[in-house]
Amino acid sequence: MFTPKTGAAWWGFVIGSLVLSAILVAVLQAVPQRFRRPIILTATFIGGLFYALEFFLPVAPMPTPQDPNRMGNFLTPYVVPFADTLPVIAGFTVGLGVINLFLLHGRRILKGATGWTNSLVFFIAFFLMLTFGILDKTAPEGSIPKNIYYLLQEGAYQALDATMFSIIAFYIVSAAYRAFRVRSLEATMLLITAMVVMLGQITVGQMLTNWLPEQSESFWGNFRVEVMRDWILTKANTPAVRAINFGLGVGSLAVALRIWLGLERGSYFDSQR
Amino acid sequence: MEHASTTVRILVPLMSVIIVVMILTARRKQLFIRRIQGLTAIDEAIGRATEMGRPMVCTTGLGGKQGGIEIVTLQALSIVTYIIRSSARFGTRSIVPVFDSQMLPVTQEAVRDAYAAEGRPEMYNPDDVRFLSSNQFAYAASVAGLIWREKAAANFLFGYYYAESLILAETGQQVGAIQVAGTPTTTQIPFFIAACDYVIIGDEFYAASAYLSREPTALGSLVGQDIAKGILIAIVLAGTALVSYSGVTGSPLGTQFTNLFK
Repeated sequence: MFTPKTGAAWWGFVIGSLVLSAILVAVLQAVPQRFRRPIILTATFIGGLFYALEFFLPVAPMPTPQDPNRMGNFLTPYVVPFADTLPVIAGFTVGLGVINLFLLHGRRILKGATGWTNSLVFFIAFFLMLTFGILDKTAPEGSIPKNIYYLLQEGAYQALDATMFSIIAFYIVSAAYRAFRVRSLEATMLLITAMVVMLGQITVGQMLTNWLPEQSESFWGNFRVEVMRDWILTKANTPAVRAINFGLGVGSLAVALRIWLGLERGSYFDSQR
Repeated sequence: MEHASTTVRILVPLMSVIIVVMILTARRKQLFIRRIQGLTAIDEAIGRATEMGRPMVCTTGLGGKQGGIEIVTLQALSIVTYIIRSSARFGTRSIVPVFDSQMLPVTQEAVRDAYAAEGRPEMYNPDDVRFLSSNQFAYAASVAGLIWREKAAANFLFGYYYAESLILAETGQQVGAIQVAGTPTTTQIPFFIAACDYVIIGDEFYAASAYLSREPTALGSLVGQDIAKGILIAIVLAGTALVSYSGVTGSPLGTQFTNLFK
């Protein structure tokens, strides 16, 4: 729908978009409170209607050089440009997050609140990453800014991220210990089921019952641990998850309808009483 | 791009009409919904936090895979709003960490409105609705640290959660917080069941706002959902019967029926 712009045209579009956005935000701010609800409802309805029509209207082959098998209708070419508005809105709100962090940690430092040094670390980390993140884009290979950025990104950030992820292993053990304690019939069933699935997943577990004949050869083959594991996962677990997903799908449809049609009055706009 | 099949073109509008009709019906007459234990526990948790004089931590999850403002996160915020309104009556403090910066103004406004609705606007503290990080594990570490430092008496986990679910729930468990969780992410439900006191499963998550607020719109929507689920169950049973019949007799009916849903 839109072709990429370069040079002066690119600058023109960027500046024009920013000016237009600023005017739009100013106009929306100036709108009286009683008109805000109809504006929000109309924008939500139009946005929802576009995607609903695009999804439900009949489709015909609509090949593109990138996707020769594409199917679509007259609205399909506008889906991507329409979806591109989301990152634009997100771009405006990134600043809000940063401002919130600055205000929160700034106040803590100024008041000398308990743990204010942690807030100081936030500011140091923020500006370090910002400075060397920008310098990294232009600095030559092997330069000090590039090395410092590598140290911060790979040596600190990635390592901290991986550390948090690995903590989950220990939490799984402590949570499993509490969940599998034999306190009730349900906990006992959970324990037995988990044991069978765990043993079925590992070679050593499968060795325990490999003296039994194959499932295809004898009835006793059904008691091989990997066969029991497969039965639990495909005949008990999968249908239960599908049933939950059916409920979630219908629930999601209901909430979407309430928001799309402006029927949701209780939680987001005003009380019904 | 995915588009609707003929069956979807019939089923989705049909279910939508049922839900909207039930919403309109609920505005004229009172509808009944059953008791949901996990949601009753919310009041118990608020009461405990009030007795202990310690704050509650209410998280609305990470949002969907595409990021931004999601229906699930808005639903979680709706539940959190109810929790804050209830806790405001007793003067109990609630802390709401935010993962997505797009959700920050929405959450701030919802929390401010919740306090104002209970006649306690002075209880709104901007520092209690805080954006932490848009990185999954940085957010998890921040919320875990928050729970530890504030010694939260209650921990509410609603919305989309992924691998960080157990970090949050186990931290709450370690500080002795009463924990209520509800997520549509089926892979995380077992972790919450293992670590939390009460868990809202599946579409109970969407039933929560109806159950808690008793707003006619939400109640009608819930009854409409149940009728829609009844239709789906009837289709599943009909499919099972037809496929079984075809398996015994060799009739093509079962295959023809299942092809309708492909």
